[in-house]
Amino acid sequence: MITGEQKPVEEIRQMIAPYKRILVLGCGSCVAECASGGEKETAMLASALRMAARMNDEDVTIEEMTLDRQCVMEFVIQLDKVIDPYDAVLSLGCGAGVQAVADMYPEVRVIPGLNTEFLGETKAQGVWAETCLGCGDCMLYDFGGICPLARCSKQILNGPCGGSVDGRCEVNPDIPCAWQLIIDRLDRFGALDRLEDIYPPKDWSTKQGAGPRKIIREDQQK
Amino acid sequence: MINAKRRKLALFYCRNVPESREKDRQLLEEACGETISFFPMPCSGRVEPVHLLRALEEFADAAYVIACPTGACRNFEGNLRARKRIERTRSIIEAIGLERERVGLVVCSKDNPKPLAVLAREIMDKVSSLGPSPALGPKALNEEEKGI
Repeated sequence: MITGEQKPVEEIRQMIAPYKRILVLGCGSCVAECASGGEKETAMLASALRMAARMNDEDVTIEEMTLDRQCVMEFVIQLDKVIDPYDAVLSLGCGAGVQAVADMYPEVRVIPGLNTEFLGETKAQGVWAETCLGCGDCMLYDFGGICPLARCSKQILNGPCGGSVDGRCEVNPDIPCAWQLIIDRLDRFGALDRLEDIYPPKDWSTKQGAGPRKIIREDQQK
Repeated sequence: MINAKRRKLALFYCRNVPESREKDRQLLEEACGETISFFPMPCSGRVEPVHLLRALEEFADAAYVIACPTGACRNFEGNLRARKRIERTRSIIEAIGLERERVGLVVCSKDNPKPLAVLAREIMDKVSSLGPSPALGPKALNEEEKGI
């Protein structure tokens, strides 16, 4: 899941200030799960912005809509029927959603309402944690299903660093030591010998070594 | 019974509040006229920030929630959730320059539970000092100035 957090209202108001007809556009996928850009949050933000505009005697129209998924053309195209009257879209999608809408409607200003944060998982109600960097060369098999790049503060592949205390990270005691987790998991599966290997520095060319990445699957194409 | 000063209050309340049956609500609505809009809920935990924001946006000078006493929620933690959502709503209205006191939570006393009518009056007295809500636009403020 891609996580995000809503930008401060003041920053959003500054960005939308030049526009008179604004569509607040939510996304019902990842950002709905992390309670930052789903239908509820879209309704809340639109309501708050309308009140703020009224309090400042601003003549603007602010309406709201939520797509099931803002980063997929088949869903974004639903805007065809409604987008004409608007001169700006305030997107509560992730960065990919914002750009998907902007790509499809180049004549409309698309403004990000969220700060996109990380790839992560819902750990508990209201708690999301980063667990994947999207490096393009998954090493989870070697490390018992715990990613040392995403979850170790020092991103070391040949750990542990020796600094953890009671299983907590010395850089940030709020998080568990990723290497403690790795060792515990490998031990459970009788695979501690995997740590005898020395891992060379990560090859980051699979992440963005050649610029933005693209996946092309001919079997999925028309 | 309740002083119908020009403020409008949106009042969401848990149905566990004493004397809050449908008949009580109807009598209260008759007595209050447009001053208070009552929204009965099966549990205060059902209230969402968007309910309170919409009330403030559409018609209310203040939006309050009445919850049952801490530890007495029949859904165990509904009133605790309501408290968190009130705080969230308050942070949103503060961010747009509205007084946080326009949204609030009143928790019934466990030992001396007051009927809905009494709680409504107490909340109304409290919010009357706030003045008309600027979030309702200049029309509401002008009406206040003209004494309409």
